[in-house]
Amino acid sequence: MKLDQLTKPWAAFSYGFLDESAKREMRRRILKAIAIPGYQVPYASREVPIARGWGTGGLQVTLTLLKPASVVKVIDQGADDSVNASSIRKFLRRVSSAKETLDTLKADIIQSRHRIPEEKLREDQILVLQVPNPEPLRPVQPDMSEARVMHGDADYGQLWLTLYEQLVRSGRIMQGSSYPSMVNGRHVMTPSPIPRWDVPKMHMAANLTILSAGREKRIHAVPPYTRVEPLVFDDVPYRVEDHADKTCYRSGAMGFFMNELPQDDGSSSFEISDSQYGVKHIQRREGEAVTLGETYYREGRLER
Amino acid sequence: MAYVATRGGERAIEQSERLYREDLGRIDKTRVDAIAKSMPYLLDRVMGEASLYAPELAALALAQSGGDLYEAVLLLRAYRTTQPRLAIAEPVRQKDLFTVRRISAAFKDIPGGQILGPTLDYSHRLLNIDVLNGADFVPEPVEQAAEPAPATQPSLADWQKAQGLIADFQSEPVPLEEIPDVTREPLLFPASRAHKLQSLARADTGGTLALGYSTMRGYGNVHPTVNELRLAEAPVRIRHPRGTIFSAGRVRISQAEIISKAKGLQLGFSATFGWNEVKVIAAASLDLASTQEKPHPASNEEFVLYHTEPVEASGFCIHFKLPHYVTFQSSLDAIRKVKTDKPANKAAVPQADAARQAELEKAMS
Repeated sequence: MKLDQLTKPWAAFSYGFLDESAKREMRRRILKAIAIPGYQVPYASREVPIARGWGTGGLQVTLTLLKPASVVKVIDQGADDSVNASSIRKFLRRVSSAKETLDTLKADIIQSRHRIPEEKLREDQILVLQVPNPEPLRPVQPDMSEARVMHGDADYGQLWLTLYEQLVRSGRIMQGSSYPSMVNGRHVMTPSPIPRWDVPKMHMAANLTILSAGREKRIHAVPPYTRVEPLVFDDVPYRVEDHADKTCYRSGAMGFFMNELPQDDGSSSFEISDSQYGVKHIQRREGEAVTLGETYYREGRLER
Repeated sequence: MAYVATRGGERAIEQSERLYREDLGRIDKTRVDAIAKSMPYLLDRVMGEASLYAPELAALALAQSGGDLYEAVLLLRAYRTTQPRLAIAEPVRQKDLFTVRRISAAFKDIPGGQILGPTLDYSHRLLNIDVLNGADFVPEPVEQAAEPAPATQPSLADWQKAQGLIADFQSEPVPLEEIPDVTREPLLFPASRAHKLQSLARADTGGTLALGYSTMRGYGNVHPTVNELRLAEAPVRIRHPRGTIFSAGRVRISQAEIISKAKGLQLGFSATFGWNEVKVIAAASLDLASTQEKPHPASNEEFVLYHTEPVEASGFCIHFKLPHYVTFQSSLDAIRKVKTDKPANKAAVPQADAARQAELEKAMS
């Protein structure tokens, strides 16, 4: 036996950039996060070659999950061609031989910032959400150690109170995105800054969702078929964004989450936020053979 | 195709990066060497914040980032994190440091003596404009002292401990492999002593100064005095698999002990890679302030360690340049709904509560 038979040739970086000890730690933390749905698991969070706050948490999860045969989709604000999504995709290409796709239906791993695709995810797919602030209690308790104790005690009274105050002051709950949600009846989590439109998609979803905050070094997960319930009062129903009757000016699709585009004449036009889903509508209109997946919403209403 | 080519974003980011790099021009070894040679203190600062002692790589990072310090630190950190840990060096003792500068503000003279070493402290900060007009600045030669200063110096704190002036905490020996490592474990609170000092060692110089200065000015109840400040070269000693200890070289380090006279004498400590006096004095002050009872929020341990982390702080700050139109749309929807819902809400409010509602609305507007 010679030394060179026992070793690998020198390479500047490992497969998938992270070294094996980093990946092993990630796998352990992810497993723990899955075992305790909605619980924030602290992790070391290595630096990666993009800036903190730019998806380093999601990236570490994706890099850990990647295999040479994986098919990956990366979106930011619903769009595949958003600059940062492009940058992350380019990095993944550089450090792995994984394939890329824009089609939600064809992806094994979907890394996303601020959106869940409109087409239903399956059991064999993993959604990785980038999380800027993993702590739903931050507005009422900025001290992370205190907030950890509150989670331990399931002490969510102050969070309910802020929602109630919004109701009293404004006549409605003013929380826009990042709507705090109870997972599996135990831990309140932030679903990351996805719109309210997307939160119900997590409830009893077939897919695994991993939410990772690189800068804040916390990871939490929603395993398949787990309850995710937005915090709402019995007599005040949860309200998603009022996009049910909006039509995409480009694809003609209706009843999905839209980007509002201010127009010169003072009005607004709308385009579908899940960009590739919109593209597929256009392709179908032009006679191309495309498969439109089953969606969470049908004609603007949630399918249950 | 009628729809937007989805590679548009990719081309844009590629070209914008090219534009930046084109301005910096070709980077060759000469440029990297020139940076390393002419800016040792800048290298020290970057190496400290990166927690990677590698002058050549630090110079390369500065060359690649055009001198943007946060970019340079991130480059080094992202490189460092992938490197295997081959060995853990033996602990460095104060008495083993090859000390080039060591001063105390607490006593006129101290065992081992005050050694000024290299410093600009007493220089007059005048620009040498003549250099720009072709007259080179040639530093005057240093005159040798009659007696050379000893290479190593005792610790002042040891003397104070022997006098019973400061508490002597017995440290328990920890096997090298069991020393906590903040780069491989999450930082949790209350932080271990090791995590805290490691975090301060790699903290942002500017951020540490801002918070440290706030405690010095009065947002805190410590009245700091520099007990001992040292610039030194620390020998890196590693145990060979066969058991012998050998030297793997030296690293420049700085360390500061800050003493408080508030309630008895207490020490705050900080050390970092490189010679960076401002940082260790500020960080040692923060260490001292954060161990006081009910520290001011600005010197609370969690507050200090989270907010002086250079890669996290700078990254989050610049991330606000990323598009946020989905979250904005979500809030916009809620705000618009308040307006359209208003008549309905009014009708629902019982008469007796109308005054209260009006008051609330007034407060809101």
